[in-house]
Amino acid sequence: MDFTLSAEQLMIKDSVDRYAAGNHGADDWATFAGLGWLGIGAPEELGGFGGPTETMIVMEAFGRGLVTEPYVAHVVLAGGVLSVAGRNDLLEPLVEGKRRFAVAYEEPHARYEPAAVETNAKRDGSSYVLTGRKVRVLGAAPADTLIVSARTGDDVTLFAVPSGANGLKRTSYASEDGHDASAITFENVRVGAGDMIGDSGTGLALLEAALDRATAALCAEGVGLMSVMLNMTVEYTKQRRQFGVPIASFQALQHRMAEMFMELELARSMSYVAAMTLESETEADARKRGISAAKVQIARSGRFIGQSAIQLHGGIGMSEEYKVGHYFKRMTAVERLLGDTDYHLARYIAARDARPVRELVHS
Amino acid sequence: MDLTFTPQERAFRAEVREFVARELPPDVRRKVQAGEELVKDDMARWQTALYKQGWVAPGWPQQYGGPGWSAVQRHIFYEELAYGWAPRLPPFGINMVAPVITEFGNDAQRARYLPKILSGEEWWCQGYSEPNSGSDLAALEMRAEPRAGGYLINGTKTWITYAQYADWIFVLARTNESPKKQEGISFILVDMKSPGVTVRPIVTIDGGREINEVHLENVEVPKENLVGEEGGGWTYAKFLLEHERTGTAGIATCKRMITQVRDLAAREGDTDPRIAERIARIEIELEAIAITELRTLAAESAGKRPGPESSILKVKGTEIQQAISELALDVVGPYADAQATRMYFNFRKTSIYAGSNEIQKNIIAKRILKL
Repeated sequence: MDFTLSAEQLMIKDSVDRYAAGNHGADDWATFAGLGWLGIGAPEELGGFGGPTETMIVMEAFGRGLVTEPYVAHVVLAGGVLSVAGRNDLLEPLVEGKRRFAVAYEEPHARYEPAAVETNAKRDGSSYVLTGRKVRVLGAAPADTLIVSARTGDDVTLFAVPSGANGLKRTSYASEDGHDASAITFENVRVGAGDMIGDSGTGLALLEAALDRATAALCAEGVGLMSVMLNMTVEYTKQRRQFGVPIASFQALQHRMAEMFMELELARSMSYVAAMTLESETEADARKRGISAAKVQIARSGRFIGQSAIQLHGGIGMSEEYKVGHYFKRMTAVERLLGDTDYHLARYIAARDARPVRELVHS
Repeated sequence: MDLTFTPQERAFRAEVREFVARELPPDVRRKVQAGEELVKDDMARWQTALYKQGWVAPGWPQQYGGPGWSAVQRHIFYEELAYGWAPRLPPFGINMVAPVITEFGNDAQRARYLPKILSGEEWWCQGYSEPNSGSDLAALEMRAEPRAGGYLINGTKTWITYAQYADWIFVLARTNESPKKQEGISFILVDMKSPGVTVRPIVTIDGGREINEVHLENVEVPKENLVGEEGGGWTYAKFLLEHERTGTAGIATCKRMITQVRDLAAREGDTDPRIAERIARIEIELEAIAITELRTLAAESAGKRPGPESSILKVKGTEIQQAISELALDVVGPYADAQATRMYFNFRKTSIYAGSNEIQKNIIAKRILKL
């Protein structure tokens, strides 16, 4: 039982905190590569280091700094698929910042469920022909390659598809927080058998493992976002005066902020659970249980803290010019990304019941 | 970072589990399982078993009879007691007055009181609240008038759990009039057999007979029953409350309860997804509170005293207890099961006692958020 960070982890925290607190730009990918952050979770021989705890440290800081680079989409999710599949040939240029991958798995009818795949990969000689539609593909715009889930008979298989492939059409749209998401259609897109990621039929297992890593990363980002919203609210209510006194002196507001603080601490605890589940769990149902539990808590705490932050700021909280609203919008996106509360509650129940005897703390 | 237990800690868990299975009297276990009200003898027999093992007071320093466990071991111990359906020993002696006597009392007091608390020879109750002084504890009116050789005490204390069983009561009483109401309060130990002490039972909405009003009328108390400095009582009172709050989260008991509710729903053939979802939501929040408690424990092991953070555990721990009792009532539904009903009404007390949850939010607002 230990909640402290190692010396190396404290160094990462220090550097990512400084980056997040500073003036970060829209395209700092080369900086990330230089600082080694693109290699978190990748094997050491490729220049990688660390794992879920390091990802948590980075993402919490990115949340605090409202960093908009598609780190989760490219490094944690796509990188996660490639590293679980053992594709070091593709992981190496990713770690170096030379290539960028986005994962296209969600479909319009699927409501976050990666197993609900209708996109079809039809075998044609030595190649496959992909037809179907994906939505909410994160980080697709700057990606040179898409990792696409498609049905191969009864199973799901992943394929690497160049962004500029013939028959691929991408439509950009803005998600809740203004971040870019894409809808992508595949019409007879031809890929070679060598473009398969992992073996045929292993797509779902690869995706689920990588999605759990990405979900844990979002949980940490959520904690960062929430902590800033709480701090901003506390500071604002101390300086905003009405009825001749700071509004922070009113008990109705004090109790609301005390509740925000408690929700933040519960969320932080579950972000730890998410990271530690990935560090220690080898069994898929136990892993899903821990990750989905964390996402449910983060969504709940984040919604309460976000809505309360806007309410306690009053009119200024509604203003696009003021920063608290930007955090709230990002939090609202995080709440839904990679599965909303309904989805993760159902997933938690299914995973828990698959392994009925289970200590709440890993014993 | 690491949330796993060491092999030694797992072995310790097995040892405690085996002990509870062997030593807990079966009739007491059955009563706890059925949620029945316990009487003194039930708890006393369990304390005797723990006493023989040296396990009554996990939090005490070893020199006074504590087992010398780490914070994690204490956590495991309480978890296993709850899982094994052991009753909670009343905290008033072991977890409340004893830490105050240890920290602020003198050697004579430590020698006089601690061994009998440990053995269960003497039972204690807590004299804090008064009819006109609940959340505003510092406004208390009980007078302890200094006189030659001691004090003359007059006043009324209320909501006193197990006063009917207690040999001693510790009271907060005013020893002098000070313009600042926190000053002039003293922490005094009173023998319940003293002339002038009367106990009147208060029946609660769940039908329980745990709590009482205690009147002190011209009760004479010797000077050596004062703990620490005269007028220093407020500091000791707050010290005690912070110890009390970490103990009230009752996480392990909640885990046991939610499992019981799940089993109950399964037994009734309840496949309603709304119930399944409510159970899942509670389990998840419970896990979040459990980890938050472990974070507090870890900070404590690193030498930090329980501080205002314990208010989080008090509020969230009692809210979840109440949520579970609500769910149990809804799961039994039309059967209006007596146990679920009693538990639901009884648990309304949890957000009131040990500093109401509203007071805890004041503490978080002022001492953590500095509002």
